[in-house]
Amino acid sequence: MAVYLFYFLIFPGLLFMAVAGALLSWYDRKITARVQFRKGPPLLQPFYDFFKLLLVKESILPKHGSRSVFLIAPLLGVFGAAMAGLFILLPLFDIETGFRGDIIVIFYLLTLPSFSYIIGSLASGNPLAAVGASREMKLIISYELTFLLVVAAVIMKSGQQFDMNSIIETQQTGRPFIGSISGVLLFVAGVFCIQAKLALVPFDMPEAETELASGIYIEYSGPPYAMIKLAKYIMFFILPAFLVAILLNGMNPGINIIWFILKILGVVLLLTLIRNTNPRLKIKQASGFFLIWMNLLVVVAIVLIAFGL
Amino acid sequence: MNEPLAILAEPSACWMLQMLIMIPLAAGLLLFLVPERFRMAKGILAMAVTLYAGYLSLGLYTSAKQMIMQGETVRQGCLTLFDFDLLQKAGEYLTFTVDGLSKLIVLFVSILAILILLYTIVYNRTAKVPGYYQWFLITLGCTYGAVLSDNLILFIMFWGILGITLYKLIPGRDEESSAAAKKTMILIGASDTIMLLGIALLWRLTDTLSINGISLETNNILTVTAFLALLVGSFTKAGAFPFHSWVPDYATNAPASSSALLPASLDKLLGIYFLARITNDLFIMTQGIKLTMLIIGVITIITAVLMALMQHDYKRLLGYHAVSQVGYMIVGFGLGSLVGIAAGLFHMINNALYKSGLFLAAGAVEQRTGKSDISDLGGLSGAMPVTFVASLIFAMSISGVPPFNGFASKWMIYQGIIDFGAGDGIASSLWIVWLGLAVLGSALTLASFIKFIGGIFLGRREPWLDKIREVPFLMWAPMAILALFCVLFGVFATEVVIPRLFTPVVGAFTFNGLWSSSFVSLLVLISIILGLLIYLAAGKKKFRTEESFIGGETVEKLGASYPAPEFYKTFTEFGLFSKIYKRAEAKAFDIYDLSKGAVLWLSERLSSAHTGVLPGYVIWVCAGLIIMLLIMI
Repeated sequence: MAVYLFYFLIFPGLLFMAVAGALLSWYDRKITARVQFRKGPPLLQPFYDFFKLLLVKESILPKHGSRSVFLIAPLLGVFGAAMAGLFILLPLFDIETGFRGDIIVIFYLLTLPSFSYIIGSLASGNPLAAVGASREMKLIISYELTFLLVVAAVIMKSGQQFDMNSIIETQQTGRPFIGSISGVLLFVAGVFCIQAKLALVPFDMPEAETELASGIYIEYSGPPYAMIKLAKYIMFFILPAFLVAILLNGMNPGINIIWFILKILGVVLLLTLIRNTNPRLKIKQASGFFLIWMNLLVVVAIVLIAFGL
Repeated sequence: MNEPLAILAEPSACWMLQMLIMIPLAAGLLLFLVPERFRMAKGILAMAVTLYAGYLSLGLYTSAKQMIMQGETVRQGCLTLFDFDLLQKAGEYLTFTVDGLSKLIVLFVSILAILILLYTIVYNRTAKVPGYYQWFLITLGCTYGAVLSDNLILFIMFWGILGITLYKLIPGRDEESSAAAKKTMILIGASDTIMLLGIALLWRLTDTLSINGISLETNNILTVTAFLALLVGSFTKAGAFPFHSWVPDYATNAPASSSALLPASLDKLLGIYFLARITNDLFIMTQGIKLTMLIIGVITIITAVLMALMQHDYKRLLGYHAVSQVGYMIVGFGLGSLVGIAAGLFHMINNALYKSGLFLAAGAVEQRTGKSDISDLGGLSGAMPVTFVASLIFAMSISGVPPFNGFASKWMIYQGIIDFGAGDGIASSLWIVWLGLAVLGSALTLASFIKFIGGIFLGRREPWLDKIREVPFLMWAPMAILALFCVLFGVFATEVVIPRLFTPVVGAFTFNGLWSSSFVSLLVLISIILGLLIYLAAGKKKFRTEESFIGGETVEKLGASYPAPEFYKTFTEFGLFSKIYKRAEAKAFDIYDLSKGAVLWLSERLSSAHTGVLPGYVIWVCAGLIIMLLIMI
């Protein structure tokens, strides 16, 4: 039991994921700064941000709204991210435990953070937050089918197996799924889904600093906002890790860890570049993008898989 | 599931079975004699009977699997009463099955009936339905009868009476509710007729009427017709596409106590129970049948949930969800594998729990506020805390948020679909379609429940809602118990609930998926407690309450808050969608309105023959007579 808690809270759980995610977010900000010819923040900046919110800043609760739901929602978000991350990282690091989750479970847990932000923002009673919540939900509806089809295509590629261990194993004994046309298409669709899941530009309409002043997070401050930051850091690490696990061969033991880290950095670099070179879409455009174009892409990939390509 | 049952008649089981069916029916008939003035007394009597029935069903649940023939009992009874065998061989029709499936359903019918009745006693809108309690008891008795009977004629008799009680449990005083009642009656009645046709066909094909004794291959046109005829009955009762259209209308107009009882729980249990019987006992499914069922299943999921997304009336929204969830069960049974069947049954039980809970919560909100439109409400979470927490749990269950029960059963259905994909045949190779649409349906369900929860309980509270208080104990307690069931069934899904409740029914099967429900639930608890400790450690003075910042504006100036009905308006702006929505709102796809149109058109054509001229009629009569004679000779 204590071992399980260690897995959940320390390694490869909450603490590890949060630190890795924070470092990745520094990497993302540094690259963004370089793209914009700025110097960028120091390495520990994400930690300063987090601890300032947690320890120094006060938290302002909304007067009209449900305060308990407002406070509990971010915790649920952290849990969802950490649990999904655990189910992704345990097979990735090849750690055997008594509790496991398959890819469908991971898929559902990955929706939990977004769901909890929506509930939390609606609980604040702020109309701008409600606009953000409505956009977030519409975004979820838009990308969820694409994301699921990517997952289903991966299941199909690994011969109807849907636990992470077998999916990684199939790639490591055979060849990585990305080494085929269908794999490349799935990777493209997967990257866009992750972009939307992380609410990065061009899919940042739920937050939309310029029009909604952070939308779903507008009422959050102090420790609850630190929790949201924590969940975001974790998501920033585990989503690329998930993509690496299901399409890019996962991780081999030994010195190959460096190779794994490079793969993660590569995926994050891609996300960062997309977010720095695109304007924000309208929600209708984003829906159309996923519901029509991305789904079409994945369907083509699935057809290719059926023909063994 | 298909093994023949031993013909036993344990005296205790026999007695329990007789009492279970007869006592509610007798008490229901008795209550017709009690004037409507003594509503409370009637309610208490009904409660006593329901509790006793619950006790009996618990006894029946622990008894052995068996078939009970009551023919001999009837014969003996006739002999003592009339001195000769008055009913002759009619007693042979009185055969009952007590197997895993019927025991399970009977148990949950009892649990739901007790909880809903508890709520009903203090629920003020029940008074609008004259004779609620007697119809309630008759419903209960007939449900037990239908679930337990083995003879198809006996079964359809009980099943048919349930259609009448459904009609009687809606007020039917104002125009809208009487139209809804009529629609329900016509759809249910028509489907019962089709079912009767199917039963006749079955009898013709197999020479027996015992469910336990029939196992037909669906390989020729007659058997397929019989299968489809029975399927229509089951689908109409459960509310699946395209026979679902009575459910939303019923849910909008009936009091919450009625819609929680029938369309949300008992009708679902019955319809799916019969579906299980059709697909597992009566017939052996072929690939074509599986394909048909899967198609109907996913269409039901998606169309109903899309309609739900756009509703403003929260009862109607729930009504569409009552339809949409059936799709998952149909998909489960359509897979035909053990996991699929177990998942379908598990989802059926889960759906009955959270859906009746949701209707009860909707009734509570309606009782306190008198409004049925989401846009008139908001911010009730503080005023009605128990209703809110229970609704939130129900909403998370129905949308499949882990670790609640809805997730557990959906997860089983998904792994059933993935396993199914490994098989041969066209239905199997399309597995991604079934999986994709089922998961999309679940995301859309989440979306519409965000609207439900956000619009009613969260957000800003309108000033006139400040005086709202929580509903009385007898009303919130059933909701709380149902919510507890939802949590427990989710938390202990893989360790206790499925092995204990469902494996005995369908037989042993293995999971291919991995999900440790109770351990993950423990982690949820730990995370939330840790988080709250962090908040506490941060200290009280770090939390301050202030007005929201809305870009320097005030809410009053901006008009109201962002209303929930506007939430998903974007989706109606897509060209194709908007057209479909408009036509669906105009009921262009409603089988009831379509057939009504056809019937009216036909009668208009026929009425042109009614000229009012006597010789004309005489010619018609003579012509008819001649045709009849020609056929007969």
